[in-house]
Amino acid sequence: MSVTELVQRSELFSGLTPEQVERIVALGHEEICNAGDVIIREGDPSDEVYIICKGMVEVEVSQDAIPDVPGPPPLSSLVRLGKGQVFGEVALVDRGARSATVRCVEDGTVLYVISRQTFWKLCEGDHHIGFVVMRNIAADLSFKLRHRNLQMRLAGGEL
Amino acid sequence: MIYKVSYVVIGKPHAGAIVNQDTPPRVGDQVELGGETFNVVEVVDLTPQRGEFAYLHVTCRPAQKKT
Repeated sequence: MSVTELVQRSELFSGLTPEQVERIVALGHEEICNAGDVIIREGDPSDEVYIICKGMVEVEVSQDAIPDVPGPPPLSSLVRLGKGQVFGEVALVDRGARSATVRCVEDGTVLYVISRQTFWKLCEGDHHIGFVVMRNIAADLSFKLRHRNLQMRLAGGEL
Repeated sequence: MIYKVSYVVIGKPHAGAIVNQDTPPRVGDQVELGGETFNVVEVVDLTPQRGEFAYLHVTCRPAQKKT
């Protein structure tokens, strides 16, 4: 399956016609990363949204720094995201700084990257695409929240 | 149908994972998440299907290593 076909199967574009998806896919580019690579860093300015075509990443947030321990504060893992998932969408919606660090956990992970500015321009130029994509982003954020709630309820003491 | 699956791990500290799959997981399956293997112990519908997507929650435990 080609990267374009994999991107088309992302929930982000569910409800759009193949022609509309092709217009969006034409705006982005492919990136490949390996285990340990930091893709985005918490607190950095945000410019892009990512779709995972293959492989897996880990989403982490920083905890409070440990007194008298040099170096950056420790990171706490929130979730791992695999094929078809989207990240970087929080900043796409609120235009704030990155809310988490995302690190690649599998060699050869394939990402599809779309610039926020280009993406917004498309959504503002075609309100149907904008509505569908924003609805899908809302559904994706709800799913991630439900996952987090279940994680806290079922395994909260183990994190 | 595309199955968007929320995997929650019990039995060890793990943040779980969210993955799209072409086939639904079933109780008793083994799944690999980022290089680690887990046994599926529960599968439930998380939210109603929408379009070509089904939304599932899976509880899983680390698979026992063979000695």
